[in-house]
Parts: sequence; structure tokens; C-alpha cells
Amino acid sequence: MSKRRVRNLPGMGISKITLAHENQKLERYQDLTHYQEIFFQCGKCGTCRTVYKDANWSKVCPSGEFGKFEAYYLGGKNLLTWAITTDKLKWSENLAKIFYQCSVCLACVQQCQIPEIHTYAGEWLMAMREEAVKVGYGPMPEQTKYTDHIMTEKNPYMEKNEDRLKWLPSHIKQSPDAKLAYFVGCTASYREQKIAITTAEILNELGVEFKILEKEGCCGSPVYMTGQTEKAVELAKMNVERFKENGIEKIITSCAGCYRTLKETYPNKFNLDHGIEVQHLPEFIRKEAKNKENIFKNQVQMKITYHDPCHLGRHMGMYKAPRDVLESIPGIELVEMTRNRHNAWCCGSGGGVRSAFKELSSFAGKERIEEAMETQAEAIVSSCPFCLNQFKSNIENDGIKAYDISELVRKAI
Amino acid sequence: MIDNEIITELEGIVGEKFVSDKPEINYLYHYDFITAEPEGKCDCVVMPNSAEEVQEIVKVANQYKIPIVPWVSGINFGSLATPRKGGIVVDLRRLNRVLEVNEDDMYAVVEGGITWADLQGFLEKKHPNLRAGITWSPPGTGVVPSCLCYGMFDLGMIGGSGAEFLNGLEAVLGSGELVKIGSCSISKHWYGRQPLPDLAGLFIGWEGTTGIVTKAAIKLWPRLPYNEVFTGATLRMDDGIPVMLKLAKAGLGIIDIVVVNLGWSQSVQNLNEKNVPKDAIEGGMPDFVCIIATQAYTAKQHEAQCEAIKEICKEGKIQLMSREQGVEAIDAPPTQVWGCWNFSRGGGGEWIGSYCSTGDIVRYYNLAREVCLKHDKPPQFYSRIMFGGHYCVARTNINFNKNDPSDIEKARNLLKEIHEEVQQIDGAIMYKSPKWAYQTHKEKIFPATGELIEKIRKLLDPNKIMNPGQGRGEN
Repeated sequence: MSKRRVRNLPGMGISKITLAHENQKLERYQDLTHYQEIFFQCGKCGTCRTVYKDANWSKVCPSGEFGKFEAYYLGGKNLLTWAITTDKLKWSENLAKIFYQCSVCLACVQQCQIPEIHTYAGEWLMAMREEAVKVGYGPMPEQTKYTDHIMTEKNPYMEKNEDRLKWLPSHIKQSPDAKLAYFVGCTASYREQKIAITTAEILNELGVEFKILEKEGCCGSPVYMTGQTEKAVELAKMNVERFKENGIEKIITSCAGCYRTLKETYPNKFNLDHGIEVQHLPEFIRKEAKNKENIFKNQVQMKITYHDPCHLGRHMGMYKAPRDVLESIPGIELVEMTRNRHNAWCCGSGGGVRSAFKELSSFAGKERIEEAMETQAEAIVSSCPFCLNQFKSNIENDGIKAYDISELVRKAI
Repeated sequence: MIDNEIITELEGIVGEKFVSDKPEINYLYHYDFITAEPEGKCDCVVMPNSAEEVQEIVKVANQYKIPIVPWVSGINFGSLATPRKGGIVVDLRRLNRVLEVNEDDMYAVVEGGITWADLQGFLEKKHPNLRAGITWSPPGTGVVPSCLCYGMFDLGMIGGSGAEFLNGLEAVLGSGELVKIGSCSISKHWYGRQPLPDLAGLFIGWEGTTGIVTKAAIKLWPRLPYNEVFTGATLRMDDGIPVMLKLAKAGLGIIDIVVVNLGWSQSVQNLNEKNVPKDAIEGGMPDFVCIIATQAYTAKQHEAQCEAIKEICKEGKIQLMSREQGVEAIDAPPTQVWGCWNFSRGGGGEWIGSYCSTGDIVRYYNLAREVCLKHDKPPQFYSRIMFGGHYCVARTNINFNKNDPSDIEKARNLLKEIHEEVQQIDGAIMYKSPKWAYQTHKEKIFPATGELIEKIRKLLDPNKIMNPGQGRGEN
């Protein structure tokens, strides 16, 4: 937000100050009607397209930069939402596609200085997806396919639920009575299994008593993020029931999407107040490093750059913990990309984009990899298995390595 | 109007991905989504990536006699990029590159669709010693349209209006030919429009009705090490304006002088029109706020300049505050000065803005103020002293709820009333005029000049396809 404004002149008083966001406090996670007095405050001025007054005004919106037309930027989406709620436009397949061709990374809303749009635009981007589902134009066919699979096999990767723990090596020690669960998530269970293994090993090394739920299922993030809230709630209820049955009081996850969903979406959107403490791995490690002496015993000589996963950064505000952990590993040199923290360029895998809009997804991923390579770092490190998987799929000619933060922590412990 | 055959031709020029005839895409181009001007109609949007592609598009438009509207961000307070007669909107945003920066002669050659964010970002990264003059419009708006439509920059005191920042142009005429204007027409240098016949005037002030500018050279300026932006206030416009005019003629490294009234200063403070005092004078509050930017090459020079500025203001009873005192009127532009269209939290804004004699600023304000207060609107006034005090811009903003047809209607009537009132001032010439206000130019203009304008337009746009229904375009 704007830091400096014309202020009251001492003793003269320019005017009484009543800031917009103090005036108009709205609830989050509501349907479109709740925000209908805000959409049209947008003048599609284009501020949402670039980093505001920082990072050399770099582009921030993968959807817009790929789609090019105004409709693909936040400004366009604000006004299309206004058009829908005032019957100026009717729902169509193409309109739904515009709203789904976006990873909901929310880099755009970070830039807009209009307080109401800055604060609430993310809400109606999601509400429009929910609406698209209601009117039968959402989700996209590929997303329907993975959702159907999730509802039966509890993962979006067309894998069997019974194979979910196949990654688990015999040397991992679990404590059946532990009240702490490591929630592995689908991507680490089926695609980026090294993250699951290293995370479990880290917990073992640190002497943390934990268990992995035998019947762990998808957290529901890919279902919720594509507007299918009812189905996502169904999944959430099953998960919460399982947590309760297992006496879980605390969850550690190595996935940014799971973290956001368990910690934020379950209680605040789904009204499932599970009362369980949820921590993302770097958050947990940082605390352990603070409480225990010298947990990082080994040097990891590497120049790296850190990619902020959208679900961890902009969605949950966690920027510092992963950096603190990385910087405390001996030998690690952390360099920043031009677009970092709340201005980070999305990797292009979230929001259902990777399944339904492969070209856009790849465009976004490659752009991020290029930016990472510009820093001269040896590796791009993230704290989300989905981001990692996206980088690995898009790195060409071994131009740069890609790691999850857990892999570097494991090397150091 | 635009059938599949034409769409296929356009796709053949720019590629399928960059042509749209889909209503959901085109909807964003049919109206500016800010002003109280009527909505238009967009049949097709096309995004060229080179001047040659623009030429081909214009040829197609000529062949089928289809209106064509050049577009960058589509927002300006005259609604000049709203397609009034349907047709093809040529969205230039892919033409957003900086092609060259000449540090010796201090200019940048840019493409026609570049935005302020693009240009500023490029300069910050590659040429931090140089700066552009920048508008107070949002970062996503276009550089070249701003120059062509006489926009105002934050170097207005040394550079004049946006048009005076243009060194040269490359443009596609309404007839489809590509022309180069200025030194670039005869050499590889883009240092200026002199000493050739100044044909830049064929595109400046024409609101896209003569051609599409595909490249332009924009003057850059050195970023001097010592600078200050003072903010000052006094009770009345009548008290403050003479002091500003005195400052304008005093040199003192002043690069920008802006004057606003209480209403405008409230709009840029994120306030809500509904919660602010409407009339500063009635409330005994300061109604004159000035912003004075100065720069210098040495510390000694800077100190002397600042002292002199403070002294002149003190004599005029204007209390000045510096950045050091924690007061900065506006973040370094480009800035999303969203209060301009959202002061009433209704997303609607339009102005009556004119170039005029510096001697008429106070009168302009008083006339506009009276009308606003009569309609229970807080007067919002903004004036910039230009080019060392040779002329100025005076402007009144009106905000409204664009979701409420009756409020839009009220805003239209109010704007027309203000326009009529300020027409009492000889020499108040509205810029970025919507069509209805442009009629005043036509009525007042010296007859032979009006005829010459008409002849030129016909020569450059024989089929009357360029932005019809706007500015000097076909009615």
C-alpha cells in the first residue's frame, strides 16, 4: 500500500482521515453478492500487471502475460465479475475458461493500491470459480477427471490409494501413539517421494515422535482451488475425522498447498474448526534449530535461490521461515531473484492450471527458471513438492538444479 | 460487420492467438470503465507485434471500410479509445519494447504500446542515470498516447506538455503507408523534429484519427543527485497562485509545480468523498496545496535553490514542508492515483481539463468550484504550471458511481455545466476532449484552420476508418 501521503498539516488540518479499509470491512470467503459493491471500483488501470514501485516494475501475472488480452489480468477479471453480477454478460464456456486460466497466485492483488480490491479480490476470483461450477461451466474437463479420481482414490495422480505409502522405507521410525502427524500430501507420496523420505528422516534425526496416517488422503486443495467447494468439504471432513480418530494434536506438512488448506481453508472457509496445530516444515525446523544446539552439522556448499510457493507466501504470509532455515545451513549462500516474497512470479502449477492449461503452466515455469538462472545460483529451492515437480519438468539441459528445502536440510543434519 | 473471412485474414497477419471476436474478451474493450461517456462496441480485437503487422491490419480495415481504434490501456478521461462505431480495436500492448536509449542526446526510442511501468522499469535497470518525465496516471497506461494527447508529466516545468517530449515518430497512416517523422526520417538518429517540416503535428492532438504511432523517441533527462519535493499550503487559491507563478519565473531548478485544492488532495489520500468536508472555504481550511519539485547538480546549488524557494513561499504566506519533515505529496510516479476515479468509491471519474493562460487559473477554479458546490459535490481542482510558466493546465475532476445509471447521468450533466462555465474563459481549450466537448473547438476555431484540419484528416484517412466518432474523426 502507499506508504506516504499528503498528511494533516500541523495545526491547520487538511481533512479528517477516514481510510477506506477502515470504513468497509468485509468478511472473507463469501459469495459474489457480498463483494458486489467493490468490483466496479476497478478501472482496469493496469497496476495489477507489474510489481508496484519495486523490482524494476517486472511483470507479475502469468495468466495475463500468457493470455495477453485484458480479460486475463485482474483488472479484466474484476470487470467481468461486475458484468456477470449485473447481467451485462452471461456465463459461457469461454468466460469460465478465462477465470480458470489463472493459478490464483494472487501476485496481482498485491500490487493494486485500492484497499478494497487489494484486500478482497482474491475472494471473488475464487467465488467466480464456485459460480462457474454452479452454472455448469466449471471445472475444466481435466480437473473433473482428477477430481473424480480424488473422490475415490484420494489422489489426483491416477494412482491407487493403497499405493500411497509405497515410498515409505523400512528405516523410518514411527511412533504409533504419537500425537504429531506428518501429513505427506499427494505429490510427495506419488511424485516427489524424496521429499517424503527426507522429511521423515529429518524428523527421525531430530528425535521427533511422529506417525504417518495409514489412510491419509488428499487434503482437497486441487478440488477447492477449482471451485468445487462441496466436494472439497467432503474430503476435509474425512481427513478431520481421521485426525481425530488418531488423536492428532499437531500436523507437520512439507507441502505448501496442504499447509494452506489444513491451516486456513478448513477452519475459515469450510468452518471445520479442527483445533489442530498445523506447521509447515521450515517453520518446524526453525523452531527446532532455535531450541536445540547445532542441528546442522554438515556443510552444504551451494549457491541457491529460493522460490516462494504462492500457497505459502502470498496465501499464508510465510516468507521468513524458509529463508531463516536456508541461511542457517552452513555453506549455503542464498541469493534472491528480482521478484521475490510477495512479488514472486508463480511457478505456474497451482489452481488447476497444470492439468488444464499445460502451455500456460510451462510458460510460467520456464520464466521462473530463467529468472533463477539469472542469479547464477546452482539451484532453485522451494518448499512445495508441486513447485519442485514443476521446475524439474521444465528445466532444460540441466541449466540449474531444483531441490525441496527438506533435501538441503537433510544433507545438513 | 466483421465476418469470419475478415477474422481469418487478421489471424493470418498476427496469429490466431492474438485475434478475438469473443464477447467475453471484447467486452473489456467496448468501454473505458472509468468515465461517464457512453459505452461503445468492439467487434474484434487484434494484437500486432510489429509496424508491418499494423500496416497489414490497416490495409484490411481499408479494404472492408471497417473502423479501427488504436488502443494501449483504453483509459483516459475523454474516453478516446472507446470504439464508437464498432470495428477493430488494435491493442498495441505487444509493442512494448524499448528499442534504443541514446545517452548522449538523452532519448529513448520506444514502441507505440509501451507503458509507464515498462519504460520506468527499463530505465531503472539499464540507465539509472536517466529519467523520463512521467504522468500521474497509473503505471499500466501508455507512454506514447500520453504524449500524443498532450498529457502532463512530472517534468512539466522544464519539458512542457507530453507532446513536447516527442523527438520523432514512426506511424502507419489511415491509408496504410508507414511514415517516419523527425531526424529519424533522414538518419539513424532520433534526436529531434528540427529542422525539417514538423509533421509530428499530423498525429499530436488528433486522438488517433490520422494513424497509429508504432514507434516514438521520448526525451529523457539526467537524474540529478540533489532533489527535493516541497509540499505547501495556504488558505485560498487567490493567495497561492501568484506565488507559484513568481516561482515559475525564478528558475531555481524547479522541474514541476502542481497546485491542488482541498478536494483533490483528499481524493489522493485514500479518503471517501462521502466522509470529507465539501467546502474548504466554508470550513476555514486551507484550500490551496502546492507541490514544488526542484533538483540540482551540486549540494551548494541545491541548498541555495531550496532557500530561495522557501523564501518566496514564506513571503507569500505559504507554509512549506520537505520530505525530511515526513511529508511527500505523492510517491515517485508512476503511481496508481486511484482517487481520480474512485474518490466516491463508485469507480467512476471524468474531468473537464483545459490548457489555458496562467492568468486564468484562479478564475477557472472559482467557476468550476461554484458548479460543483451547487450540485453538492466536493470541488476537485488540479493545475500544473508548464514550461517555465509559459502556460498551464487547469482541471476539475468529478467522481460518480458507475454502477448507478442515475449517478452517471448526474455526472454527465455536471461535466457539461462545468465545461460551459469555463468556456467563458478565452483560451481555455479542453484536451483529451470527448466528442461532445470537441464541438466547442469546432465552433470557435478560425475557419480556415478548421478547413485545413479537415483536409489533412481526409488526406491521411481517406476511407474515414480511423477512430471514427472521436476527436477530430468522422462524426
